[in-house]
Amino acid sequence: MGFNSIYFYDSLRSGIQYLPNTFQLTFIPIVIALILGTVIAVIRVYRIPFLAPLLVVLITLYQGIPLVVALMIYHLLFIAEFNDFAAALHLDTSMADINLIWIGIFALSLQATCYMEESIKGAFFSVDKGQYEAGYSVGLTKLQTLRRIIIPQVIPVALPMLTNNIVGAIKGSSIVMVIGITEVLAGSVIPSSKTYAFFEGYIAAALIYWIFTILVEKIAARIEKRGDKYRRNLV
Amino acid sequence: MVDLFDWKRFFTNIPQIVAYLPVTLKIVFYATLFGVILALLVAVIRIKKIPILHQAAGIYVSFMRGTPMLVQLLVVFYGIPILMQQLFNINVNRWDKIIFVYITYILNQGAFLSEIFRCSILAVPTGQLEAAYSVGLTQFQAFRRIILPQAVRVAVPSFGSDFIGLFQNTSLAFLIGVVDIMGRAKTIGTATKHVLEAYVFIAILFIIISLLVKGAFYLLDKKLAYGR
Repeated sequence: MGFNSIYFYDSLRSGIQYLPNTFQLTFIPIVIALILGTVIAVIRVYRIPFLAPLLVVLITLYQGIPLVVALMIYHLLFIAEFNDFAAALHLDTSMADINLIWIGIFALSLQATCYMEESIKGAFFSVDKGQYEAGYSVGLTKLQTLRRIIIPQVIPVALPMLTNNIVGAIKGSSIVMVIGITEVLAGSVIPSSKTYAFFEGYIAAALIYWIFTILVEKIAARIEKRGDKYRRNLV
Repeated sequence: MVDLFDWKRFFTNIPQIVAYLPVTLKIVFYATLFGVILALLVAVIRIKKIPILHQAAGIYVSFMRGTPMLVQLLVVFYGIPILMQQLFNINVNRWDKIIFVYITYILNQGAFLSEIFRCSILAVPTGQLEAAYSVGLTQFQAFRRIILPQAVRVAVPSFGSDFIGLFQNTSLAFLIGVVDIMGRAKTIGTATKHVLEAYVFIAILFIIISLLVKGAFYLLDKKLAYGR
């Protein structure tokens, strides 16, 4: 027993091959979460009756469920119900045609939406109320005020939180391994199943994730710096 | 759908799963207790900028924050036996698997909490420390009486969300074969071929726990908001 660098390189190479899957599992949920999260945040900011309290309850409850548990439940439901579901809709697809990665993307999207909504809502509340009033007072409609006045001020506040959410999504994507999706973590140990060098395999996976998250943070820091140029300090 | 989810099975599962809740609580307890001690150590090292240790602590925190919990758990699970064998010639095959879980979660919490502590201590204005020195308090007195009470107030909300995250992360322990509530659900699944009820119950259990923790930290936060 010991550290075998040849096995380590094999695992590293194998893990990197599955990076596209991890990209999919990270960025598709992030984009969905951005859209849904913004819509829900706006609903909550404007306190739309019935819808706003309902969404608050749903999000608070859903945030309590660990990703593994949600993933297991969706996977079970998918296995048990998909064929009936497709038959009911007269679709000509069977379970085998669906890539399991979509269950992972579904679960990760829902989770990311909850976290994203929280950050976007926080960013919305950081904009002063007077900004809305100023918008209305010069004759802008609600939507115009939102688009031209509020959202440009929300973005710089939301960016650092967005980075945190992306890093969280990268890390969360490793959990989909439990339902048999091959991404970086599962990919890194494919060579290990022949050699029993699991330690080297997992170290390789850790290294890939580490570099990936550091890169994301570095890029985000650059973008934030660029955004700061356009922020005037009034005080 | 009738065969997929059955309320009778759901209710017979409840006592079987709740019996394993102490395993989960133990993980949270040890991870928080030793995690806080480790985190304080790391936070002090990083604030005081002690050479070599400071850089090592930086790498440790970056690694723990930049890699998934699951990967850390697996690295510890497969790495510790090799390390022990190489360094001390100790065979750890007989160790209970939960020990690896404790080690991982303590290391993970140590890193995350150290960042929370460090930021909260640095959030207290330097003037407060200077004021404390100027009335003749020693360094330790100034830290304990002036800095700490203010830093705790800043740290409580982040500590709360970290604590909820820790609870949720314990659900990964079953992946290395520890029988906690998730592990029990899995064994129920292999025994009865019906596992959906067990997972639904666990989801409800986690929701209740997270609401309780959120409520507790909300009250704590309110109580600590003296003078605001």
